Amino acid sequence: MNFLEVNNLCAFYGKAQALHNVSVDVKAGEIIAIVGANGAGKSTLLDSIMGLTTVTGDIRMEGKSLVGLGSAAIVSGGVGYAPERFNLFPYMSVQDNLLVGAFTARSDIERNLATVHQLFPRLEERKNQETSTQSGGERQMVSLGRALMTSPRLLLVDEPTIGLAPKVCSEIAVALRKMRDDLGATIVITEQNANFAMTLAERLYVLESGVVKAQGTVDELRNDTRLTEAYFGH
Amino acid sequence: MQIIIQGLLLSGLYALIAMGFTLIFSVGRVLNLAYGAYLLIGGYVYFTISQTLGVPKLIGLLLAAVVGCLVGLLKYRLLVKPLKGDHVAVEISTLILAVVLQAGVVFLYGDSSKILLPIVPGVTQVAGASVTYNLLTATIASWAILIGLYFFVRKTHVGRAMQAVSMDTKGAAISGVDPDKINMFTWGLSGALGATAGVFFASYTQLSPSMWVAPLIISVAVVIVGGIGSIIGTLIVAHIVGFMEVLAVSVIAPELRGVFTMLLIIGVLVIRPQGLFGREEL
Repeated sequence: MNFLEVNNLCAFYGKAQALHNVSVDVKAGEIIAIVGANGAGKSTLLDSIMGLTTVTGDIRMEGKSLVGLGSAAIVSGGVGYAPERFNLFPYMSVQDNLLVGAFTARSDIERNLATVHQLFPRLEERKNQETSTQSGGERQMVSLGRALMTSPRLLLVDEPTIGLAPKVCSEIAVALRKMRDDLGATIVITEQNANFAMTLAERLYVLESGVVKAQGTVDELRNDTRLTEAYFGH
Repeated sequence: MQIIIQGLLLSGLYALIAMGFTLIFSVGRVLNLAYGAYLLIGGYVYFTISQTLGVPKLIGLLLAAVVGCLVGLLKYRLLVKPLKGDHVAVEISTLILAVVLQAGVVFLYGDSSKILLPIVPGVTQVAGASVTYNLLTATIASWAILIGLYFFVRKTHVGRAMQAVSMDTKGAAISGVDPDKINMFTWGLSGALGATAGVFFASYTQLSPSMWVAPLIISVAVVIVGGIGSIIGTLIVAHIVGFMEVLAVSVIAPELRGVFTMLLIIGVLVIRPQGLFGREEL
């Protein structure tokens, strides 16, 4: 049994269908990347796992269905999410943003906070700063930190490098690897930057117009034309 | 000196009146035009329990808060949630609900005003100004409630979750907070605060079926003039409104009570529609 199994998932925003029979499997402790161009449905896939869209099909984590549970139950079931637009609380301090993430994992606060500060020392230095005044890189750190405060066993990270300077991208990559290696989290990222995805992930899924076009290990897909087609068209 | 003391005391009460309204506006993004009805309900419940039946005043006050809380919860479940997303429909329905509740009060108690006896009778001197114990008690209670609320919102998990929902609902949901439960809680809290404020307000003015209108205007003024949903902002703007009223009544004419508040609402809407402080927080 895989850690996460998404089977024949169709997702809808109102009447518009954004995903068409998408199936994705993730093994425990794996880092996989969903790659594809803008509008391919990457964010929708992660939103759907979090219970934020209307779906048909099935999503199972450790054999237990997540469909219809609602976001709060999915989070307390062990899924953390760092969305593309961060969705931080702009007029709250860094520390309070992190503490909101602890809403369902209150007994782990001290341990999780220490882990977050170890991964991102800047968040401890700037713990009283409002997130509305922070740079994109810092906000990404708060977003990842908030997700870690939920004590996730599965971490979903949407476009972790979008709009960030190369140096910050490397910091984020190091942190994500530590989250897997040291904390044992299974990680699903989405990426427009295929190079970043290939340096971080073990396997890739190529998504195009809401359909899985290709899947495989990084080595299998490195020279696959379907990967370039998904980005640049035919 | 009388004006300053009176202004300070009245402003404290106004801050309590506006607080429940501000909470709903901030967390639920709803302009709850039936908010004044909580004050109406609170005033009449207290009148029935403590003045008519003679039950101790503190119990009357607590029961008024409980009934206000229940009305708030019911309003959210039966009206606001089903109409979620349609702000105009919610605002029209809540306004109609206030008028219906007013009719209910007229049916049960008649349409004449009633005097609510002071919660604490007597008069004292504060810095040379004469002040009723009743208003003094109302102000101290208001401040105590607001300070408690401030720390609740800042320092507890539920309070932080309320702030989170007010700023980014999706962000709150993916942090494990259920925005629906937080909204429900906030509506109940708002009802309890409104009903408590209603007891103090009615004992300061009088009990009448139309007593929900003036507090609603004060609350709308605080949200529009402040442009924010914060507790500190509510306190500041409540003092602007409170002092304006005291000055209007004592310097110009008592008949103009409330008029300047309404003019202030219009002025801010025209000149600075985002409000004086212009940002949303709790």
